[in-house]
Amino acid sequence: MRLRVRVLLAAALVVAVAVVAAGCGGGGDTKGAAGDAGPAKNQVLRMAWGAEPPSLDPGLATDTTSSNVLLNIMDPLVRLGPDLQPVPALAESWDVDGKVVTFHLRDDGRWTNGDPVTARDFEYSWKRTLDPKLAADYAYQLYGIVGAEAYNNAKPAQAAALRDKVGVKAVDDRTLRVTLTSAQPWFVQQAAHHSFLAVHQPTVEQYGAKWTEPQNIVTNGPFELAGWKHDASITLVKNADWRNAGKVALDRVEGRIIVDGTTRVQAFEAGEVDALDGGGLPPADMPRLKQLPEYEKYPALGTYYYGFNLKNIPDVNQRRAMAFAIDRQSIIDNVAQADQIPASGMVPKGMPGFETIEQHFLPPRADLEKAKQFMARADDPKQKITLFYNDAPGHKEIAVAVQAMWKELGIDTTIKAQEFAQYLEFLGPPPNNAVDMYRLGWIADYGDPMNFLELWTSKSGNNNSNFASPAYDRLIEKARNTPDDEQRYELYRQAEAMLTGPNGALPIAPIYWYTYTNLERESVKDTFQINPLDQFDLSKVVIKEA
Amino acid sequence: MAAYIIRRLVWTVPVVLLVILMTFLLMKQIEGNPFRQTERAVPAAVQANLERKFSLDRPWYVQYANYVKGVATGDLGPSLVLRDRTVNDIVKEQFPRSVELGLLAFGWAVLLGVPAGVLAALKPNSRFDYGSMLFSNVGFALPNFLVATLLIYFVSVKWGLLPTSGWTTWQHKILPSFTLGLVPMAYFARLVRGTMLETLQQDYVRTAKAKGLRWRRVVTVHVLRNSLIPVVTAAAPLLGYIITGSFIVENIFAVPGIGRYYVTAVSARDYSVVMGLTVLLSVIVIVANLVVDILYGILDPRTQEARG
Repeated sequence: MRLRVRVLLAAALVVAVAVVAAGCGGGGDTKGAAGDAGPAKNQVLRMAWGAEPPSLDPGLATDTTSSNVLLNIMDPLVRLGPDLQPVPALAESWDVDGKVVTFHLRDDGRWTNGDPVTARDFEYSWKRTLDPKLAADYAYQLYGIVGAEAYNNAKPAQAAALRDKVGVKAVDDRTLRVTLTSAQPWFVQQAAHHSFLAVHQPTVEQYGAKWTEPQNIVTNGPFELAGWKHDASITLVKNADWRNAGKVALDRVEGRIIVDGTTRVQAFEAGEVDALDGGGLPPADMPRLKQLPEYEKYPALGTYYYGFNLKNIPDVNQRRAMAFAIDRQSIIDNVAQADQIPASGMVPKGMPGFETIEQHFLPPRADLEKAKQFMARADDPKQKITLFYNDAPGHKEIAVAVQAMWKELGIDTTIKAQEFAQYLEFLGPPPNNAVDMYRLGWIADYGDPMNFLELWTSKSGNNNSNFASPAYDRLIEKARNTPDDEQRYELYRQAEAMLTGPNGALPIAPIYWYTYTNLERESVKDTFQINPLDQFDLSKVVIKEA
Repeated sequence: MAAYIIRRLVWTVPVVLLVILMTFLLMKQIEGNPFRQTERAVPAAVQANLERKFSLDRPWYVQYANYVKGVATGDLGPSLVLRDRTVNDIVKEQFPRSVELGLLAFGWAVLLGVPAGVLAALKPNSRFDYGSMLFSNVGFALPNFLVATLLIYFVSVKWGLLPTSGWTTWQHKILPSFTLGLVPMAYFARLVRGTMLETLQQDYVRTAKAKGLRWRRVVTVHVLRNSLIPVVTAAAPLLGYIITGSFIVENIFAVPGIGRYYVTAVSARDYSVVMGLTVLLSVIVIVANLVVDILYGILDPRTQEARG
């Protein structure tokens, strides 16, 4: 692949020269005032999806592509507003009473076969996702509901009894009552996740695993799945019977599945597609693509970090020294190049409560002086360390840069790559003793800091750092039961301080907070929007007259 | 001949069984969890449910026996990653496209490679000879991804002549098949040139010429026919290779074939897809070799006699 990158760079240079030349020629062009143009007659959006959806069953889907197709063909109870707060969708309102959340459904939700969408559909669907026989990967997204985990964990003999104990109940056709294990103030917002969508019971039961094929599927959202040629194309058409169809501008969304990032960009540049799905642009092309008027970036709720193994690097001063020696801004500007934000903590910028939680301790630029002071205070610092990363594009370049930065502290870093699936098993838990440091990232499932901070509890399956603090665990448990936002953010601030604050244990050195980068034709750029959870709502897209 | 074919076909059974066993054991050896595709840790209950659903909780020999039973009845099992589809679905829908891509690539190779080799051999050391050999050397040496990237960049993005990617109209099929056909094309050109030159030195060619046969007839009937034997030998495994080994070309040109699944399935630990495609690949190679042997007999009756 190395060679390919080089060719692309050469190609990029050619294009850059051509662009400059063209720019010199046409001096007097007036820029079309895109804002004034009305909607185009032909409301067909051609877009490139970055992957074949592994499943369009809300119970089984786990990836971004499937999620985005689903959220456009199905009607969730709530959608997320610009500040990530829940806004009514199929549920017109909800009440929260301690651990009990009651959703009130609209009366005009319809399945594409004409059946009304009822609270019973949701009860059935959520229990289906928890059914051990369905073996849904994301069943745990629903574990916040009383009895959910027990049912998902049930032996066949007890399953039926445990199913009835799951805390989700259709009180009547339009009232869905959910009982939670703790207050979980983010639950309503979490209901915007695709795992909480409803499926059409008769269709699922009739067709089994084949119910998601376009000829069988019954949906209830703004678009219908008109075609799905596996690995080739996904065609969505406007659902004229949807409750809010009058507000939907697009008639069709013709999607092509193009996995290779470079090909995706080339298809866009050749004018074959109008928008990409935000799945990322090839790092080697970034300097050139960033100059295009079609380039767009969105803040993402995601943190790219290096984890420390606290057993192997036990002195917090050494960890501080290493975290201070990393020049995050330089890594972003020169290596990662996708307009990421230098990360000073685990909880990413843009997360509700971020202003309260942020620690202002780790600097965006390297502070070598301070780093060396910390290093001098370290008791028997480890001079030779091994940093592991998974062998995907971009990680090695960052590791090499950090290796050079740590050299300034007299630390010799060996970097080792592993293939992703193997890597995840290798890291643990339990944390692998051979690992001194490791790269990982975390992308939010929902917009509450809990989703990031609970990773570092001592029993978390994602904690490979040997950081285990009963005080930290207690804080997280308390936050889980604190419905008031300000009070909860204060608890999160204390938790974040235990991780990345001035007196924190620093089990991680955060590097950057992710951004989503995309290419979008100027005719759709204003209305095609990707939210911080990587979701886009095609019912809001309007194609403007060019 | 019939007995020979049957004997060969019967032999495929133990070979395929061995292939399954080896692939199976190799897949079990590598670390990784097919149910963990992202950083997110999989809760124990979820993992257990999934292993039960896909029978991964059974001892390996039971899994192996079940798998062999499945293959015997034509059921390659469910995909562990593409949850809405079975391996049979994937093969049925996507394998024909890989075959089409492979055959088109093969077509380019035969159409351009063989004549280039013939013409080069008839006029050795001419400008055409040097030109075509230079082209074939370069074609052989350039990796697929480079050719593909350059073709898309110039032909599609810059000149706008053909679509960048996809597999819907005939225009979509030109660039990927040409890219994939380049290596066999170069290989054929060199092979045909070499064997032609050798055949042209044979006594029977001189005799035919001496008898006053027209040169064109000597070349087409005597020289070409005998020069093609090595080509046929090379062709069948090559065809198997380009049908199943088109991972890079399929990926870059977004061809919804099966080649790219082969590699992505390994990294996703999609055991059943890897197994299914391996079985398919081995059957193709076995059949291709069988076809070669049969064609051999037709082209060169001596080999048939030798077999008895």
